[in-house]
Amino acid sequence: MQDRKSPVTIPPSPKENWVPRRRSDTLFFLVMSGISSCFVLLIILLLVADIMFTTPRNFYDALSKPEIRAAMRLTVLSCTAAALLSVWVGTPLGYLLSRYSFRGRWIVDTLVDIPIVLPPLVLGLSLLILFHQPIFGLQLESTFRDSFGIPIAYSWRAVVLAQFAVACAFSVRTMRVTFDQMNPRAEEVARTLGCTRGQAFLQIALPQARRGIITAFTIAWARALGEFGPILVFAGTTRMRTEVLSTSVFLELSTGNLDAAVAVSLMMVFLAVAVLLVLRIFGAGLNT
Amino acid sequence: MNRQTMVLIGSGVVFATMLFLMNASNSTQRNRGLSDQAQEPLVVFCAASNRAVLELIRLQYENEFSRPIQIQYGASQTLLSNIEVSGTGDLYLPADDSFVELGLAKGLLSEVFPLATMNGVVAVRRGNPKNIQSFSDLLRPEIRLVQASPDAAAIGKRTKIVLTEKKLWDRVEAATIAFRTTIVDVANDMVVHAADAGIVYDAVLKSYPDLESVQMPELHGIVSKVSLAVVTGSKQPQAALHFARYVAAKDRGLVHYAEQGFQITRGDVWSDQPELSIFAGSMLRPAIEETLIAFEKREGVRVTRVYNGCGVLVAQMKAGQHPDAYFACDSEFMSQVPDLFPKPVDVSMNELVILVQKGNPHDINSLRDLTKKGLRVGVGHEKQCAMGWLTQNTLRQGGLQTEVMENVTVQSPTGDMLVNQMRAGALDAAVAYLSNAAGSAEHLDAIPIVGLSCSLATQPFAVAEGSHNTQLAERLFKKICSAESKETFEAEGFRWRDPMPQGKQSVP
Repeated sequence: MQDRKSPVTIPPSPKENWVPRRRSDTLFFLVMSGISSCFVLLIILLLVADIMFTTPRNFYDALSKPEIRAAMRLTVLSCTAAALLSVWVGTPLGYLLSRYSFRGRWIVDTLVDIPIVLPPLVLGLSLLILFHQPIFGLQLESTFRDSFGIPIAYSWRAVVLAQFAVACAFSVRTMRVTFDQMNPRAEEVARTLGCTRGQAFLQIALPQARRGIITAFTIAWARALGEFGPILVFAGTTRMRTEVLSTSVFLELSTGNLDAAVAVSLMMVFLAVAVLLVLRIFGAGLNT
Repeated sequence: MNRQTMVLIGSGVVFATMLFLMNASNSTQRNRGLSDQAQEPLVVFCAASNRAVLELIRLQYENEFSRPIQIQYGASQTLLSNIEVSGTGDLYLPADDSFVELGLAKGLLSEVFPLATMNGVVAVRRGNPKNIQSFSDLLRPEIRLVQASPDAAAIGKRTKIVLTEKKLWDRVEAATIAFRTTIVDVANDMVVHAADAGIVYDAVLKSYPDLESVQMPELHGIVSKVSLAVVTGSKQPQAALHFARYVAAKDRGLVHYAEQGFQITRGDVWSDQPELSIFAGSMLRPAIEETLIAFEKREGVRVTRVYNGCGVLVAQMKAGQHPDAYFACDSEFMSQVPDLFPKPVDVSMNELVILVQKGNPHDINSLRDLTKKGLRVGVGHEKQCAMGWLTQNTLRQGGLQTEVMENVTVQSPTGDMLVNQMRAGALDAAVAYLSNAAGSAEHLDAIPIVGLSCSLATQPFAVAEGSHNTQLAERLFKKICSAESKETFEAEGFRWRDPMPQGKQSVP
């Protein structure tokens, strides 16, 4: 005869606990979304206020100005060039800082953050000084201008360089975090199977870091778009030559053209949103 | 080729394309600006607040002369720092002339072109909804008053000085809700309804149709000047000065300044290559000729000089000839044309001496020795030149006029002619300026005339009232007052009077 087993406690139906859990989740989501929505709402309100301040006529007027169109063109080209350059430099530097311990790593790690913490005008002034101060008897500006026929300061090259100086720091930081979060085991396995370090980097690490690279490019591009201080000092704001949208806003504001300044600002927002959406669609997919 | 390599190559191609497009766009723009002339563009560092007016002038100038103007806009102080660090640029146009003074003190700027003045007013929204009519209204508790910072903006600094003198500053400061970095921030605050009133310059309000000004007597004295300055390190000063003259011409650039609400200064009449006429005493020729040549070369202008005895020059002017500037041998001959030259400035002094042959063979040591029998003496003509007039005064003061005049064989309109006659051996002694003998030390000795104060002549310079080239003449005066010019004057035997003490930048 089989011993009668003591009765087993049947676990309660999920439905029995559903109501109280739902209550606590609701509260959780209310608090979290309430806090989050403050920021989102702020951004929306800012945009709404800007849109209400300006009119379609202001947009049309701003867009019909050849100097604004030239500034928009230069903005897109220079931001893209600066962002690409930032990713090229940021990827290997982020990889080295993430994967290897070497003497002076903390110094390099600190140095790459300097453009982020430096006041923008100081960065521009530093670039200007760098290119005009003789260092070991060599003045960079005159060397580039006289020997290669390529002036840097107050040209579009200075715009790209000023944007790159700040954007690259963000790119390095992003890429380092990306590689930090990637398990190095796959690269190590590849090396045991005969890959060189270079092959492991190119064929294993880089494909894995794809989303990080796109994020780095996006951040670098966006940062370059908003760059203002270093461009103002190092590249100047010559109409049709070194004027980008951020400096156009400053110039319009300085001459009391608030309507035009807001119109150009909104143009920058639309431009940024368009570029970021395209990047997401073609780079990482809409769901990421 | 794997995917990673393709992406790398693709990004390189995109990067190269970006650079190519930027370069191509820049070249097209430059070529468009240069037209068919391969001229270096003039680089102007301009305060953003002057952008509207300078763009109009730039377009007009480029159409007229096909010389490209490249304008860098920014904040005045930032632009000055750029000039200092990069050593580039041709012209500097800050928001107000406090930055010009700073640049002059640092040696970064040279010639200055006054363009306009601006006056401090209270700005309110159009229609004056808060009914701000008087100074006491500004202090009402419900009025949100903003000002430019006395530490960061020239108008803020000037406002503080003027109101402190009138013992009103403490109350205004207490009533001010915010001090902004720039005057534009103050105006913008009112446009976006962040403030009800602000102290700004009247010219700024032209850009703000939504604002209007309220004049208040308490703000009288808050005045600022707008000036354009040539960068000392400019590699094309002549071209820079050409454009600067254009901007400062009353029938060119200043027309636009007036349209933009500035109170313009009295500019020169525009001329592509202006001609400046100057009357100067003959004795001044060796002291100023080099300076005039250098001035012509730098400015790209022509200076027509008329050197003669000052009596002759005065007669010419009274007969209807009106030069742009007059440099007299003595103030006596300046005072004879006060209507033409109301504001003379003393530049140098020159002393009368007795010129004798080298070695002083006739042993002449004082004016009394000129009375020796048989001596051939030359003096200046008292009606034709300052030197002659001064000589007669000196002889009269010494009580020797009649006796010396008995030996006078020549009365010349200029000192140079006396020196020539001395060197030719036609005279034994002559009373002339020490400067006349400069360069003749191998042939002549100079005996000082002691104890007679009137033997000293003072040379004043003045710009003609009503001249069409007032600013050009004033810049010439500045050149004449420069350190290099001073050296020349002293080398020629003149004493320097320090006509333009350090820090003083314009002719009174």
